[in-house]
Amino acid sequence: MSTLMIKDLHVNVGEKEILKGIDLEIKTGEIHAIMGPNGNGKSTLLSAIMGHPKYEVTSGSITLNDQDVLSMSVDERSRVGLFLGMQYPQEIPGVTNSDFLKAAMNARLEKPISLFKFIRTLDKNIEELNMDENLAHRYLNEGFSGGEKKRNEILQMKLLKPQFALLDEIDSGLDVDALHVVSDAINSMRSDDFACVMVSHYERLFELVKPTHVHVLVNGKIVMSGGYELVEKIDQEGYEWIKELGIEMLEEEEKKPIILESCGKKESFKNE
Amino acid sequence: MNNFELNSSYFIVFKNQECIQSSLPNEVHYDQHHLVFQNKEPIEIQTVFLLDNDVDFSITYTFEQNTQVHIIETRILQNQASFHKIMNLKEQAIVHVFHENNSQHLENANVKEEVYLQRNAVCHSGYAELSDSSVHGEYLYYLDGENADAKVRMAILSKEKEKKYFKVLIQHNQPHTYGQMDNYGVVKDQGQLTIDGIGTITKGQHGSSSHQTNKIMVFDPDCIASANPYLFIDEFDVKASHAAGVGKMDEEHLYYLQSRGLTKKQAMQLITYGYLKPVIEVIDNEMLKEHFEKVLSKVGA
Repeated sequence: MSTLMIKDLHVNVGEKEILKGIDLEIKTGEIHAIMGPNGNGKSTLLSAIMGHPKYEVTSGSITLNDQDVLSMSVDERSRVGLFLGMQYPQEIPGVTNSDFLKAAMNARLEKPISLFKFIRTLDKNIEELNMDENLAHRYLNEGFSGGEKKRNEILQMKLLKPQFALLDEIDSGLDVDALHVVSDAINSMRSDDFACVMVSHYERLFELVKPTHVHVLVNGKIVMSGGYELVEKIDQEGYEWIKELGIEMLEEEEKKPIILESCGKKESFKNE
Repeated sequence: MNNFELNSSYFIVFKNQECIQSSLPNEVHYDQHHLVFQNKEPIEIQTVFLLDNDVDFSITYTFEQNTQVHIIETRILQNQASFHKIMNLKEQAIVHVFHENNSQHLENANVKEEVYLQRNAVCHSGYAELSDSSVHGEYLYYLDGENADAKVRMAILSKEKEKKYFKVLIQHNQPHTYGQMDNYGVVKDQGQLTIDGIGTITKGQHGSSSHQTNKIMVFDPDCIASANPYLFIDEFDVKASHAAGVGKMDEEHLYYLQSRGLTKKQAMQLITYGYLKPVIEVIDNEMLKEHFEKVLSKVGA
């Protein structure tokens, strides 16, 4: 059994503190759901665990079986068994899916995978996830629909077999059929040697992939933890009742779209 | 050092001013620095140029009407060598050329190409400029007949203390002509690279299109890079576009690949390979792909 332990984690983005002391213990065999209103730090938590350079850990610790995760580079974190299924996977022109997937699989193998075995494994998984047969030859996520990108994240998870999978809104952009395909894939990975942390707004995903632990993250802190009953309560009542418990909640700032054509001067005038 | 391999059935090899080896089909003739193509069936041919220090070499290719030719050209130049090539494409000639510059450790080499296209002629060129050397190159395309079509792709690597300069010109001298160039460069260490892309449409050449993209990816703080697009247009009824940019590799791309376990070096190599690879699509040839991949591994990080 492996344990991912997060203690008193504080994370800044630029000058702003987003996570204000997170404590979380995840053991293999468990499925954790993290819920909470937008803009309160859920994605930040997952990105900080993976090591995105934009997120600065100012204090606290993350350990995996007593190994210090925070001192590892992003690729080392991946190779020790962490995986982040991203909310917005990058599109990388020129890099084919098959070159990328092969390189990623080989990164954790002592001997490179044989071409035959690679193609067989890839084809099998592409079929199970009901993906485009041409996927291997297409450029990484380029021109993929939202749903295809999410399925491609799940495909990578299946090929790389992480111990700890962090899935950031993996259900957004999926239609009902695709949601079933993806949740079946996550369920098929469930074992004593696999743990998953899911961030989502929708009960539907948690209905299909039943979490063992549910946490509510508000204003950079986990304010409540429990079982599946929390999912149901939030689905029925939203987050208002949490405010009534005296917990301050961050409202997501209204996003002003900046249109490419608009000139820089105008924007700065508006903000004065 | 002979840094080339022959694997096409037809080839011609030059060492300085002499043709030292050749296997040409009946309809292709070589005489006194002039190679003439009269083939009725499409052919693929390899051309190799080995030039020693200070050698000044010129050659002319003539493609007769309706010929279809694929050329894989390798140049290995020594210090101060100078290479000058003229290609004349007659009506309806279709020519694809992949050029690789395999020169090593040279200070300075000059390369100049002039390509003249008559009516309905098509020339697609790919230049892989990944050599370990400083180079001054000028590639000039003249669209001298209606519907002539020139497409140029470059993949350039400038590293260590190399200085590379390339000028690519496509000049439209007749109506309804099409020109497109896509010049991609990578600069690292203290490398220097300048790309001047020039599209010229002279007066009266209505219905012509001139498009260009020049992009340079910079790896290190001491690199010097400049991508300059020029469009000189003296006619109203034309289409033209240009894009130019010099920038760093996208950090989010690197993060994404690293989050899957690739080291930074592996990630950079994969991205660079994808970025420069389109140059080999000019000719469908397995040997080219393998060779290109091998040469690109020196991009490292």
